[in-house]
Amino acid sequence: MPHSLVRAILLGVLSVTAALVLAACGSSGDDGGSAATVDSGKDGRRGGTLTLLTSQDVANLDPGITYSSLDLNMLAATQRTLYKYAPDDPSNIQPDLAAGPPQVSPDGRTLTVRIRRAVRFGPPVNREVTARDVKYAIERGFNPNVANPYAPQYYGTVVGADRASGGPIAGIETPDDHTLVFRLTRPTASLLAEATILPLSAPVPQEYARPLDARSPSDYGNHVVSSGPYMLEADRDGRVLGTGYGPGRSLRLVRNPNWEASTDERPAYLDAIEWRIGGRPGVSGRQVLDGEGMILGDTPPPALVKRAYQDARDQIVFSPGAGNRYVTLNTAIPPFDDENVRKAVAAALDREQMRRIRGGEVVGDVASHFLYPGVLGFEEAGGQEGTGVDFLAEPRGDMELAREYMRRAGYADGRYDGDETVQVVGLAGAPDDANAQIVDQTLQELGFDTNLRIVDASVYYSRFCALPRARVHVCPNVGWIRDFADPQTVLNLPFNGAYIFPENSPNISQLDDPAINRAMARGELTVGTDERASAWAEIDRMVIATAAAVPWLWDKQPNLSAEDVRCVPQLWNQGHCDFSYTSIE
Amino acid sequence: MAAYILRRVLWGLVLLVLVSALTFVVFYVLPSADPAQLRAGRSASPETLAQIRESLGLNESLPSQFWTFLTSLMLHADLGYSYFSGASVGSLLIDRLPATLALTLGALVLWLLVAVPVGVLAAVRRGTWVDKLTTGGAVLGISMPVYWLGLVALYLFSDDIGLIPLLPGAGAYVPLTEDPGAWFAALVLPWLVLASTFTAVYARLLRGNMIEVLSEDYVRTARAKGLSERRVVLRHGLRAAATPLVTLAGLDVGLLLGGAVLVETVFNIPGIGSLSYDAIVNADYPVIQGTVLLAACFVIVANIVVDILYAYLDPRVREA
Amino acid sequence: MSDAEAVLRVEDLRVAFDTRDGLLQAVDGVSFAVARGRTLGIVGESGSGKTVAATTAMGLVRGARVRTSGRVLLDGEDLLGASPERLRALRGATIAMVFQDPLSALHPLLRVGAQIEEAVRAHRDVGRAAARARTLELLEHVAIPDARRRRDAYPHELSGGMRQRAMIAMALANEPRVLIADEPTTALDVTVQAQILALLRRLRDELGMAMVLITHDLGVVAETADEVAVMYAGRIVEQAPAAELFAAPQHPYTWGLLRSTPRLEAAVGADLVAIPGRPPSLLQPPSGCRFHPRCPYVRERHREVDPALEPLAAGPDHRVACLLPEAERQALWARLAAGATPEQARAAAAGGSEEAAR
Repeated sequence: MPHSLVRAILLGVLSVTAALVLAACGSSGDDGGSAATVDSGKDGRRGGTLTLLTSQDVANLDPGITYSSLDLNMLAATQRTLYKYAPDDPSNIQPDLAAGPPQVSPDGRTLTVRIRRAVRFGPPVNREVTARDVKYAIERGFNPNVANPYAPQYYGTVVGADRASGGPIAGIETPDDHTLVFRLTRPTASLLAEATILPLSAPVPQEYARPLDARSPSDYGNHVVSSGPYMLEADRDGRVLGTGYGPGRSLRLVRNPNWEASTDERPAYLDAIEWRIGGRPGVSGRQVLDGEGMILGDTPPPALVKRAYQDARDQIVFSPGAGNRYVTLNTAIPPFDDENVRKAVAAALDREQMRRIRGGEVVGDVASHFLYPGVLGFEEAGGQEGTGVDFLAEPRGDMELAREYMRRAGYADGRYDGDETVQVVGLAGAPDDANAQIVDQTLQELGFDTNLRIVDASVYYSRFCALPRARVHVCPNVGWIRDFADPQTVLNLPFNGAYIFPENSPNISQLDDPAINRAMARGELTVGTDERASAWAEIDRMVIATAAAVPWLWDKQPNLSAEDVRCVPQLWNQGHCDFSYTSIE
Repeated sequence: MAAYILRRVLWGLVLLVLVSALTFVVFYVLPSADPAQLRAGRSASPETLAQIRESLGLNESLPSQFWTFLTSLMLHADLGYSYFSGASVGSLLIDRLPATLALTLGALVLWLLVAVPVGVLAAVRRGTWVDKLTTGGAVLGISMPVYWLGLVALYLFSDDIGLIPLLPGAGAYVPLTEDPGAWFAALVLPWLVLASTFTAVYARLLRGNMIEVLSEDYVRTARAKGLSERRVVLRHGLRAAATPLVTLAGLDVGLLLGGAVLVETVFNIPGIGSLSYDAIVNADYPVIQGTVLLAACFVIVANIVVDILYAYLDPRVREA
Repeated sequence: MSDAEAVLRVEDLRVAFDTRDGLLQAVDGVSFAVARGRTLGIVGESGSGKTVAATTAMGLVRGARVRTSGRVLLDGEDLLGASPERLRALRGATIAMVFQDPLSALHPLLRVGAQIEEAVRAHRDVGRAAARARTLELLEHVAIPDARRRRDAYPHELSGGMRQRAMIAMALANEPRVLIADEPTTALDVTVQAQILALLRRLRDELGMAMVLITHDLGVVAETADEVAVMYAGRIVEQAPAAELFAAPQHPYTWGLLRSTPRLEAAVGADLVAIPGRPPSLLQPPSGCRFHPRCPYVRERHREVDPALEPLAAGPDHRVACLLPEAERQALWARLAAGATPEQARAAAAGGSEEAAR
């Protein structure tokens, strides 16, 4: 696309989004000018039905399978994992099903967890939850009919897990009904303790689930049993499909009659939560803003964000620590196989502008490294200041420095003069496509010939960026959301040379630095929270130094709720209103 | 007549097989999303991905998958299971059909009720302001994109976010059996929006046909017989002018029954249209196949019905 | 014909259409009258205005762009000034019309019987059963075989002749006093033509109707008409009792029509003589005598003077609009009737040269 045309387009986009720019005056940096970011959820009013509007259906009801943030929100209300995060503390795990803190052996190879008593399954199972139910829940993750995506990663070091396919795993022991012992082949017990916040550790009654797990794929999701304060409405046999769940239409959570409040910190004010699935976010967002008892499950469109921020500030929450965004540069093929060229791109990119186009300060902090607020090790890696590299020192971009790096790469003019046409693949939809345009423009200023393609979210990774043979050079719209607070979950998959796959490859930059790979291998095995934070902070610095990707934003996810809703946002999960703490005034 | 219908039905079955084969090919060949990857998420290892593929039956060769699909459909009337929700495709289709039926048939009644008098009036009062108004209205109706019109309708008239709160807004649909009053109220705006384009098209079409027909010899004969102008226009004029419209309506209904995607998504009506939209976004292939087949079925049936209807309406065609 | 006798009297009828290209004068001062039990034949080419005159008489030609003047008196009542309701009451009841192509003139989607029934019920307050009975009666009256079954047929299921009979039945449903038949046999085979004409004659006699028969075919006129009016370019150029018209035609156009019609009596090998040229534009008619561009006997004067329709010396029943002297016309016709071509006849008439040898 010709230079001048791109400029014109960008100017047009900017002038449109200038209207969306939320003025700096009056808004403090960290809470985005919103009143209710950090809310512990105490003293709420009991009763009422909360309605959640969402355009996308639930991905899966099965806690052994599901992985998307909205689904995690639902599961947080219906399932009790060994450990969890309180809505207002995204960094430190709290016992949920566990009776106390995790006991990690000094060598890091054994994790012992005691289970609370008197926690019962919801109907139709009704009995007390035991350690064996957690054991089965994890074992079924290795069943091909369930095929849990993160089980091999976090539970793979359990003794016997490498041979597991749904049957018993020797390394998970239950010496009695309320004790779980994990024996590991490597010292990853600290990591494992944190990993239990993921839904896989939610108890599953074997006698009830086994016949369902025999089907391919498993049908447990349509018959899921609850252990938390709420449950999916179901018929007498426990089938939720058709009762509590209408695919693509609705979902209904009601109180779990067997939930024992004394075993749980959750206040559980609401009587029921209803999901209305399928509405367009633009329309649903307005319904939420103007209505009662409603929250929005989607990211609101920029126009609505602006409107809410200006006219209904207490109805919008910008939840920090929602993830990072970065531009990947393909290190495997020219021209970005040259570190200096990569640094030039990093120096040239105006990250302030990237943020401005999304709405300005309230939507997040300009990023300077990959660990983000809320993730352990963030401060150790440099915090808001950054790691100290010169090519990321200036948030507005430093073209002089960029040209210097180009010269170091061998381009005397400070501009690329090689033969490669850089393939840039951006994400469709505002404002992501605008971000892609800015990156494209920056590349052109450095002298690259570019070919920019804008594609739909459903194929962005699967057919382009995560597919090495597609030979995409630059993916501006990549981001990562942590699995839990441990920094390994932010850095490992995206930057470890072991995770370059022929398809669905998480390491989009295809970074394969032996020093970094070794450091990561050591980091995986580091024991102790503080030690891990330090180790991975160092890895963050190392990855930044390679400029394999250019971080540009630490997201603050906007969430809309109606006026009468006291939303308690899950800071660990995109700021979704936690059903177990939220109340209606 | 019976032999004719039988032939058409058999040919229709052949068409359905071809359509489903085409859907199959399109889904796998074009750069659409991979359902296994969508389910697996970005952290999944290749092994996990392979396991998911296996469990979804994606590992077999294309022709083999297609054969499995065909045989289970023809022998067991089984359309498979949604990758996404695990519900059977058949049950999803049955669950969504009433809303689409309600939307389509209601809109049909509305647009015919409006288009016919408007078209006749415009033709009879040709050249006057009535005619000009309806022609102008028709152009407007045809050129307004349905999705946009739906949004405008919501922002103007819905009782939750509209400027003039009149009618229920998006997502208000409830099944007829649950609450007839609410069901009806929730469909009014969608009916109006869906009918708008068709009203415009049909009114224009009818106007054109009527003008032509009214200049035919047999209309002159009717007048020469001393019939009242009303009878001439309606019984002689409209009767002849409306025949193409009836057949067109049959085809349009057949198409709409496959899902009025735009109206259904904007108003969040749980019909076949929104089902197919969601299925495409989620790369939920069995559901895509199911909705495509259903839509094709409706179109084929509509074509057959329309042919029979045309023969019934125009006796001259029967000889052919 | 006196007022008392004429059922239908047209006086100085003019019909013009306001078109984009100007004013099109389709009928330019036409007058005729028809008495009970008599048939007037109107002859002319297409574009002569004969159909427009007839349909205007029926009140079927109305609209913003139509200008009519003159009078059309039906039993003394002026139809042109009548209200639409009055016209509707008269049409199909007192004055009826049969059209040229029954396949397009009958409604293709309604059964023939139903169409006749509605003609009956439009003017009489009778029930369906009575109307159906009357329909059967009418169909039998027009000699349609197996009328009971044919009653429920669609027009396309009948033969051409039967369709025309059905149309006639429909026109006669309410025993009109005037029947206008516009080219009723043009679309039919020759054998069927004769049958239809015979039917029309019979019905006219039975019902005592005044009939106007419009045609371009002189043969039809010869069989059926009592009086004949020849129209050209929107006007009547010659008008006479039928026998006299054929015996002693006075207008060169009439001569042309007669000489261009194949006749059994003519000698084998005798040439047909077509009238050269085409009918004139009614937007801008020729100056002077409208026929002059095509007339083999045209004189200078004819380009300037527009002849009026005037009676012959021989008798007031025979009128012609031509500037040639009567004696000359008789001489010309004598030669033409003997087989001369127009050129030969003209040469002979122009100052005593011998007849050219064959």
